[in-house]
Amino acid sequence: MPELGNRANVMGPQPIAQRSPVPAAMTAAAEQVLKLIESGDRAGLEAMAFERARADASALAQGVQPGMYDEHEIVAQARANQHYYIKARIIGPGAAPILIQIRLGEHEGRWVIFESKNLTGRRSAWTK
Amino acid sequence: MGDLRIEKSNRPPLGLDEVEKTMQKFIPVDKLARPENHILVPLEDIQQARIDQKLLPFNAMPYEDDFLKGRLHGICAGEFQAMEAAGRSLFDFPDAPWEFQLDMARQVWDESRHAEIYMKLLEYVGSYLGEFPESEVLWSCTQVDDPACRVAGINRGLEGLACDVFEQIIRLAQKMGDPVIERAVDYVLADEITHVRMGSQWMRKLTEGDPARLKKAQDFQANIDTLFNFGGGRTSQEDARQIPQRLAEKEIQFDATLTIAKEARLLAGFTEEEIERIVRAASRSAAY
Repeated sequence: MPELGNRANVMGPQPIAQRSPVPAAMTAAAEQVLKLIESGDRAGLEAMAFERARADASALAQGVQPGMYDEHEIVAQARANQHYYIKARIIGPGAAPILIQIRLGEHEGRWVIFESKNLTGRRSAWTK
Repeated sequence: MGDLRIEKSNRPPLGLDEVEKTMQKFIPVDKLARPENHILVPLEDIQQARIDQKLLPFNAMPYEDDFLKGRLHGICAGEFQAMEAAGRSLFDFPDAPWEFQLDMARQVWDESRHAEIYMKLLEYVGSYLGEFPESEVLWSCTQVDDPACRVAGINRGLEGLACDVFEQIIRLAQKMGDPVIERAVDYVLADEITHVRMGSQWMRKLTEGDPARLKKAQDFQANIDTLFNFGGGRTSQEDARQIPQRLAEKEIQFDATLTIAKEARLLAGFTEEEIERIVRAASRSAAY
């Protein structure tokens, strides 16, 4: 194969727009939700949820006892306009990891949970 | 020169027969697998997310800020599902004519190129694959066990819709003065036109002498056309109201609705009557 030079030097079409920044307040809210799940704080989760989503949000921490989980990692993120889906794994020494997915949106000046699902044991984001 | 002989493996070759026995046929909607670092949600959840933000439940509309990113992302995910669908049509119907299978294989190849093109276009408009969630809605159009219905739904229904969507993006790019998007999408549209023609040919061939089966295939496609009417959010190109659209520091006047691409559909082999039916159905929905 002939030497074609350094491809990184080739100037192709350049992006015409910037990536949309992820709001820092949303990231902070997601971290807070994940910590509430880790600590099994169902009341805290309910307080962070939009009215319609309270029961599902509380259920994310169902059966979680203090000490079971001490870590989390965000595995995927996507947005539907200005609402953000966060998929995260909750990990700890005391139990099998759980995989959850929440949708956060800004409501009356704060980021709240509009939707939540426990995806543990499912094959992908939605499929079983 | 060294010894070029290949050592014979003791492992039996994995033939197509064996693959057929072990792979599941007719993958249902809720079994569409995706990597864990990917967000796939049911369409109704995405629609609810839009409603919660006081937006119309359908896909990003031309008047929205993120229209181009959202629309190109939806198409890119659609190209992946179209690639999977064509592959599945090849695998799900092993008794279909060999030429049918060859066409489906060719379509897999086309759709994979399209997916790559759209991934590049996403980067070009400041987005990336995964910025938005993917829905299963296109895969739901594969849920039928007759190859004639499958090609009617996928090749004529969905690829027909692709002709509409792509034609609108080409016009948008022309108005923006952007040859990159215009030419890239035009290149893909040429393939989609071929896919529709392929679908029309196979729908007729597979139902030859069986009017009931043809009717079933046409009805399946009609259901898909209705599904993508967006509740009357579509019009003919001529009837589309023009509104200001801001894209990449430019403001242009553009369609407020998703349009139906008559010319591209005619090129794809849809009859005038079929196109009129789609236009009529769209305006009928708008009344509700």
